[in-house]
Formats: sequence, C-alpha cells, structure tokens
Amino acid sequence: MTPLERRCRWLLRAYPAWYRRDRAGEMLGTLLEASGPGQSWPSLRDARALVTGGLRVRGWTWSLSMLWVVAGTVGTGYTFYITTKPYTWADVGIGIEGWSTDPVAVQIAVVLATAASLALPLPALIVGFIRLRGWRPRSWLRIAAWAGPWIAGFALIYQATVWGNYPANCPAIGGPENCPAIGSPAVVSWGELGICAAWLVLGAVMTWILAVPAHPWKVPGTSSRPGDEASRWPPGAGDLQI
Amino acid sequence: MREPTYFVLASLLDGPLHGYAIIQRTAELSGGRVRLATGTLYTALDRLTAEGHVELVREEIVNGRVRRSYGLTPPGAGALRAEAARMAEAARLVTNRSRGLKAGGPTRKTSPA
Repeated sequence: MTPLERRCRWLLRAYPAWYRRDRAGEMLGTLLEASGPGQSWPSLRDARALVTGGLRVRGWTWSLSMLWVVAGTVGTGYTFYITTKPYTWADVGIGIEGWSTDPVAVQIAVVLATAASLALPLPALIVGFIRLRGWRPRSWLRIAAWAGPWIAGFALIYQATVWGNYPANCPAIGGPENCPAIGSPAVVSWGELGICAAWLVLGAVMTWILAVPAHPWKVPGTSSRPGDEASRWPPGAGDLQI
Repeated sequence: MREPTYFVLASLLDGPLHGYAIIQRTAELSGGRVRLATGTLYTALDRLTAEGHVELVREEIVNGRVRRSYGLTPPGAGALRAEAARMAEAARLVTNRSRGLKAGGPTRKTSPA
C-alpha cells in the first residue's frame, strides 16, 4: 500500500461505515486515478471535499452530537489540565484557577466549549429523536437507546461540575483540614480525566447508535444487460438538441 | 441546476462513464472551469441517483477495486435538456439586446431644451 493510498483510506473514514462498505473501494480508485504521478498526499481540495461529503452523509444529528461530545471533552480535559498546575485558594474562589497563565485564545475556547456543552444537549436530543423515529419496528428501542447517552451526557456535565469544584467545595463537606493541600499534586482532578474519557466513550456509543443510514440506502444495482447499452445510450438521443 | 451538476449530466451524454472519467470529461467540457473533487463528485452522484437522473449501468473490478460506470436516465436527459433550453433562452435575451446596442444603441427620449 502506497503512502497516498494509506492517507486516502484514512480520509475516507470521514464517511460512516455503512457508506464505506459500498463506496470506499470505488472512491479510493477514483482518488488514486485523479492524483498526479509521485503524489504522496491527497490534495487539500480532495481532503476538504471528502470531509465535507462525509459530514453530509453522516448528517446533522451526528455532527451536532459530536460537537456536544467534543465540547464536553475539551471542557473536562481543560479542568483536569489546570488542576495539574499550582493554584491558590484565591484562584479557586474566583473560578479561574490556572487561567491567568493561559493565552486569551485558550480561555475563549474553553468558555465557548463549556457554553456549547450546556447549550447543545437539547437540540441533540430533539434531532436524534427526529432522526431515529422512522425506524420500524425497533424505533422505540432506538429512541430509548438515544435517550440513554443523552442522560449519561448530563450526568457527566453534573459530575464534572462537582469534581471540578472539588477544592472549593471542600470547606462545605468537612472543612479545609480535610482537603488536600492546594497546589500539590494531590489535588489533581483525576476524576475530570475520567469524565473526559467517558465523553469519548459516549461519542463512540452515539456514533454506534447512529451507524445506520437515515433512510434505506444502497448503491443502486445494475439494472441493464450489457447488450442493451448501445441502444439505450444516450437516452432520448433522437430528440436531444442542445 | 448548479453548474457542476449540469456538467456532470452533460458528461454522460455520450454514454456511461466511471468516476475518474466523469471528472476528466467535466473539466474538458467546461474548458477547465469545473474541476470536481472526488468527494464532490460522489455527493453529486448520490443525489442524482436518488433523483433518478443518473443510474448505475456497469460494475467491474479494476486493480482489485470496484469500478462503477454511471449513465444518464431519460428523466436526467430531460432535466439536462430543460436546463440547456433555459440557459439558451437567457443567453438569447442578452445577445439580442447586445446586437441592438451595436446597431446604434438604445433609443432614449430626450426632452426639448
């Protein structure tokens, strides 16, 4: 397998598995034929079109759900990261522990991710129900399966909030003497790292639930006999005046 | 109908073509203006197949990979013809007026001084 083929195969993973089963071989052949001699990377134009095409096939429900998962992963991942840095009770009190040393762009990204993780669950739930409702006879099972990860996502947001504020909550649950020393490795929020990993698992589960086409889809079968082609092509040739 | 769709359908006028041949033919017919990326081509083919404008006519194995050839259906040819007629009519509207412009320009009423 050439490096170009390997990279093209990797890019084709933008499409869902059910689509790749029918189309990946054919698309790969076209990609390789369309590439120039000695080319070892797919062109930027091809890469962009494959990613866009893959997102289009996966649909809005998957894209919105993954946006939610990414937002949750970034938010909890960052909370874990900042607890690995020295900070003080004053930092915890104003809720910006560690942020002061990070670039503004990072702070903005984290704020946006946190806002998205709170704003996206409802749209994701609704579009998921709309997307899965048409499946029969197991549609109710699928709808219930969709509600499961959604509730799990909320549980992760809640738990991340509790654990994210752990040092701040300390006095309320037993006084500062029961808390680990601020700024020491003992207060690294490993729980947040666990939640971050749980978000990724949630993303995989959601992808699995949505791993069927929204509508029955299949590369259309060959309907003609080879011998018929000469007489059929182009269709309407007699009256086609362009 | 968008320009890439028009040229994809037009590329199939002479007979069924496979993916790469459609890309080449489309670029040729459009004078290099429409250069389809592979992802864009298959998105268009999926849509055109679902609409019944294009159909799969042949499947073969080349270098261990499936290669499919697609052809124009009668409704696809009809849609292409209708689009061509619409564009010809739109072009005629401008070219006829341009001729008038060359002949002496549009007549304009002038008010007496």
